[in-house]
Amino acid sequence: MSTNTTVVAEKGMVKQKSRSEFARKFHRQKPILILLIPGILWYIIFKYTPMLGALAAFTDYGTKAKISFIGFENFIQLFTSPGFWGAFRNTLIISFCNLLFYFPLPIILALLMNELIFVRLKRLVQFIVYIPHFFSWVVVGAIFAMLLSPSEGIVNQIIMSLGGDPIYFMADQNWFRSVLVGSYMWRDVGYGTIIYIATISTIDVQLYDAATVDGAGYWQKMLYVTLPSLKSTIATVLLLTVARVLLIFEQVLVMYVPSVYSVSEVLTTYSFTEGLLNGNIGYATAVSLFTAVVSAILVIGCNKISKKFLGEGII
Amino acid sequence: MSRESSGTLQYTSVGRKVFNIANALFLFLVSMAVLIPLLIVIVTSLSPDSVVAREGYVLIPQGITFENYTKIFKSGYMSAFRNSIIVTISSTLVSMVLTVVMGYAMAQKDLIGKKFLIRFVVATMVLDAGIIPFYLVVKNLGMIDSYLSLIIPTAISTYNLILMKNYMSSIPTSLIEAARIDGCSELGILFRIVIPVSIPIIAAVTLFYTVSHWNNYLHVVMFINDSSKYTLQVLLRQLIFQSESAISSASALNNFKMAVMVMTMIPVLILYPFIQRYFISGIMLGSIKE
Repeated sequence: MSTNTTVVAEKGMVKQKSRSEFARKFHRQKPILILLIPGILWYIIFKYTPMLGALAAFTDYGTKAKISFIGFENFIQLFTSPGFWGAFRNTLIISFCNLLFYFPLPIILALLMNELIFVRLKRLVQFIVYIPHFFSWVVVGAIFAMLLSPSEGIVNQIIMSLGGDPIYFMADQNWFRSVLVGSYMWRDVGYGTIIYIATISTIDVQLYDAATVDGAGYWQKMLYVTLPSLKSTIATVLLLTVARVLLIFEQVLVMYVPSVYSVSEVLTTYSFTEGLLNGNIGYATAVSLFTAVVSAILVIGCNKISKKFLGEGII
Repeated sequence: MSRESSGTLQYTSVGRKVFNIANALFLFLVSMAVLIPLLIVIVTSLSPDSVVAREGYVLIPQGITFENYTKIFKSGYMSAFRNSIIVTISSTLVSMVLTVVMGYAMAQKDLIGKKFLIRFVVATMVLDAGIIPFYLVVKNLGMIDSYLSLIIPTAISTYNLILMKNYMSSIPTSLIEAARIDGCSELGILFRIVIPVSIPIIAAVTLFYTVSHWNNYLHVVMFINDSSKYTLQVLLRQLIFQSESAISSASALNNFKMAVMVMTMIPVLILYPFIQRYFISGIMLGSIKE
């Protein structure tokens, strides 16, 4: 009995002690906690309030004077609207092509760059390849409009000198999606490569020496030392790419013109036009919410796949 | 296995040489694919009207003139250029203050609620409410048509914040403890010890913010209706894509257009060598693995 009470008493003391410790810690950290206030407020206002605002997807906000809750009506309208399905289809096609090229190309380029023995050229290539990543989509779009101009662009001049007819790439429905994918690659493949190059530079040289002693050739070292060391970077990049792949937006918004709307209107631009230009805010929010849910499913699926094949997940 | 590899080793001496040269050639072509379009833009912007009327776009200089740039200095593009500079500088300043202060607070080892705070911040990298709810928040704050809408809502980049926090938490605790024992206040520690030690990351993050604020197009289109407040990105978009005929027109305006483009690229081109240094030194790597 007596031991029990002492234990209880001790527990109480420990509790009290930890509470006073917390108070002391709080008192000591007060200046720091004050420093946190502006940042936390910013996150609440500009990141978390919009998430609450996504509830507008379940209202008729924008179409009537008085906002009322209408349940899933916007989603029903969404799934029966040809405009939505067109945008969804375009998003899937463009995103899939982006992923198909963007995912493997930087890995291959990084491995090739790593094998490059001419040091000067290696530095030059590393310096040049990711310049475009820092250009805005407006600049990248303008560069492509210049390169692909029907009569004066370098691409069409080459086509014409080979005896072909000039192609009006930027306004041709058969070509515009390729222009989007191509300009995405031009802007970001170099950047993707540099991420892998940075990882490669952290690989322990001893691993290569050991492989040499074991009689491994260049290719074997590349396949059994370099590539496995990139595993976790590959998994991370894949996940980040998948998380954003459906959110392709500014690029399309900058580069599309009315004659190619039908092949390049994506979910984000559809939501943007419906909400901001047509004022149909509830409906437009439903479109974004749908996009966010599909993205989340893709991210979770991709994490599962990377766990299975690469042995590590990110989340 | 060993037989096989010794076989390849002997074989590589010739095969490897061929590969090395092919590889070098291929990577050279890749970098030219990046460089040549930029050269066309720059050379065309410096070409006189007569050359452009004949050639369209120019890669090899045939006469140099700065006429197109003097035209820009006298045109409405100059005020857009000024707007871009004002917005970029002020938003980078606000971004840096918020990021340094919050990054420092988050870097404290025994911060109350640290785990929750990090989740609270990182979650926003994945969860995205979409463009419309974000627009409504900014609108309800009464920021439409004011530069505040370009400065405040995009002030913090979570990515940059995490970079800052990671760097600052790698500062040796002994350094900070010593200052604390000497009676230095928390703000004093931030200004006298943490900031001076963190100059590399502060420089890197400042560069990233500068470039991203300079490149901002979407928010200007969304939040600014008054065309006298437009930034250069918006005007370049109008110039190039305004109408379908603008994309195709074989006009003598090419050199002027390219000059506007150079003005839009120039801050990035100037800052690029510095940005590049931070990338190669692997500063970015930590954040990506985070």
